[in-house]
Amino acid sequence: MMFAVIYIPSFSLQAVLRHELADVKKPVALVDPHHTKTQIVQLNRAALKQGVVTGLTASQAMARCPELQIKARSVVQEEAATTVLLQVAYAFSARIEATGLGVCTMSLQGLKLECSVEEWAENIRKTLASLQLVAQIGVAEAPELALLATRSSRAVTVIRDASDFTSSLPIEALKPEPRVLDILHRWGIHTVGAFISLGKDKVLERLGEETLVMFERVSPGAVRPLRLIFPDETFVEEIEFEAEVETIEPLLFVLRRFIEQLSRRLSLIYLVVAEMRLRLDLASGAKHEQVLKIPSPTGNVETLFRMVHTHLESLRTDAPVIRLKLEAIPTKPDLHQFGLFETTLRNPNQFAETLARLTALCGAENVGTPVPEATHRPDAFIVRVPDFKQESKPPKRCRSGGLQLRRFRPAVTAVMQFRDHLPAVIHSPAIRGAVRNVRGPFLNSGNWWDDRRWAREEWDVAIGEGLYRVFRSTDGCFIEGVYD
Amino acid sequence: MSAANVIELRRLLAEKFPGVRTRMEAPVERIKRQTGLEQIDEAGGLPEGALTEVVAEQASSGSALVMRLLLKHAAETREIAAVIDGQDSLDVTSLEEGVLSRLLWVRCKSVDKALQAADLILRDGNLSFVMLDLVGNSPLEIRKISATTWYRFQRLVEDKTTVCVIFTPKQMVVPAQMRVRLLGEFSLSAIEQKTDVLLRSLTMEVVDSRQGEVNQLRLQGA
Repeated sequence: MMFAVIYIPSFSLQAVLRHELADVKKPVALVDPHHTKTQIVQLNRAALKQGVVTGLTASQAMARCPELQIKARSVVQEEAATTVLLQVAYAFSARIEATGLGVCTMSLQGLKLECSVEEWAENIRKTLASLQLVAQIGVAEAPELALLATRSSRAVTVIRDASDFTSSLPIEALKPEPRVLDILHRWGIHTVGAFISLGKDKVLERLGEETLVMFERVSPGAVRPLRLIFPDETFVEEIEFEAEVETIEPLLFVLRRFIEQLSRRLSLIYLVVAEMRLRLDLASGAKHEQVLKIPSPTGNVETLFRMVHTHLESLRTDAPVIRLKLEAIPTKPDLHQFGLFETTLRNPNQFAETLARLTALCGAENVGTPVPEATHRPDAFIVRVPDFKQESKPPKRCRSGGLQLRRFRPAVTAVMQFRDHLPAVIHSPAIRGAVRNVRGPFLNSGNWWDDRRWAREEWDVAIGEGLYRVFRSTDGCFIEGVYD
Repeated sequence: MSAANVIELRRLLAEKFPGVRTRMEAPVERIKRQTGLEQIDEAGGLPEGALTEVVAEQASSGSALVMRLLLKHAAETREIAAVIDGQDSLDVTSLEEGVLSRLLWVRCKSVDKALQAADLILRDGNLSFVMLDLVGNSPLEIRKISATTWYRFQRLVEDKTTVCVIFTPKQMVVPAQMRVRLLGEFSLSAIEQKTDVLLRSLTMEVVDSRQGEVNQLRLQGA
């Protein structure tokens, strides 16, 4: 049985830098703001080359390397990176263990690899790299050996002969207590292989039970059972900004990275995004939350990003943004066959974006599909968000129609002179003149049982070359529209 | 500039900007879509990928009726239609449920917004039947529309199968391939007449600029 261990060096630093376009050649160090003494806890290779080491205070580190960027450790981003690590591992093996911060152990038991172990491990490493996590992978017969293998300088280390590997592995790799290390050195034991050759009984007899635990970790045939876990099926990316964000550009930059990563994570398990939940925490303490439903679930980064972009373009907040969270709700890809005679939207996501732009231009109440209300009140309707996926009945072929009314919204106030209870002359900003011909009155009323009571007298009139509908109610006389 | 230089310049432009027209191209034969309106269908129907202008210079000449009938026919053929309403004047309560359920209605209160909305919808390209209604807008607003707007709309639809019908109170859409001029006058009795009776008294002049033909049709009685 083989085990693989994924190890993310400087995990906390990588978690923080994951969403930044940081230049890897520039020195960066991490401090833990929760410690009383702000010491450097992790740093990259460039910082190490400049003489910065862990344990220095921020000011000492800056003195050694003036261009050093100092980042603060973020628990939120570490949690997000841990979820990414475990989800990637789970995509390659169903038996995984969250061994530690930035360490995941996988069992290869039952896996039918279609390639070599090296290629398989390299695939894992590449997947993690596409999610902005640089990993080292070790594969061995025992979890502890695999973990030790990750500490080598190579990206992927596969140990086929354990005794050969341990014979050259320095004893310091086991991190023994200084007292034990001193004793072992005095005995002339400098490698793990030499340590194992002492034998279990002698180690127990001479160095005690604590050292026996260390011995059993690396002794041949010592395979501890994994504490198997299932990674969360949540797909969330979150960032706390060091400085308050007041403009849309930094948000868009980070959101694009979020969407790219969420989309990649979902594609690993053959899912696509059905919904995005965006949350902005503001400096004032307020929160802005928005659910963006994807009309045609997709994993396309451009499409998803455009939807978020369109929403943010029309968003105004009272305070700067201090924290950003994006959650993707996954679903299976929507595969369906279009009907031969059913005309439907070619690109529902593009249409949703156009609708959002139209809504921003004209207002939500002015864009959509009209639905008449169940009332006789004239011009009573609501406007709904269009849903052209739903099957609708075609209109009847035969229908009595009449001329179509072109409405004035709101109805135009008019002064009307009556002769024999019929409109004779009309003055209004829209029309004015003597009535040539008239039909009516048509009495119309409704809601007499509640406060929304209404009643009116309507006439159809011909003035000049036009035909109009006019009415009189308790509020006065109005022109409702022109028949056209 | 000599003819050789012009030819060379055209060649260079064509290489640098492959999508740009550098010479007068032969007119493309557009597919035409039937509308259910006999007068328009006799001229072949509404052209896809081109603009059609419906000019209603007089009040009550039947432009809203034509729009309703076009919407109804689009719904019957299971198309999704968009109406960009320049003056928020469409009487939706008189339309059938089957028509409304396949309608995107954009209510505007100015020509500017209507043109912007039309631009967005034509760029989107999802809807194959788009109507822009400017009949109710004020002449002052209408006069401010730049002629380049119509050319832009033409460019937006020419590589698509969209039928774009623009209702205007006077002739203004220069690049329109088809122009329908409504000449009808109706009496008060028409308000309650059946559609087929109204259709027989609907007078329109249909001009297809590509064919250069004029069909003035007045179908009096069957």
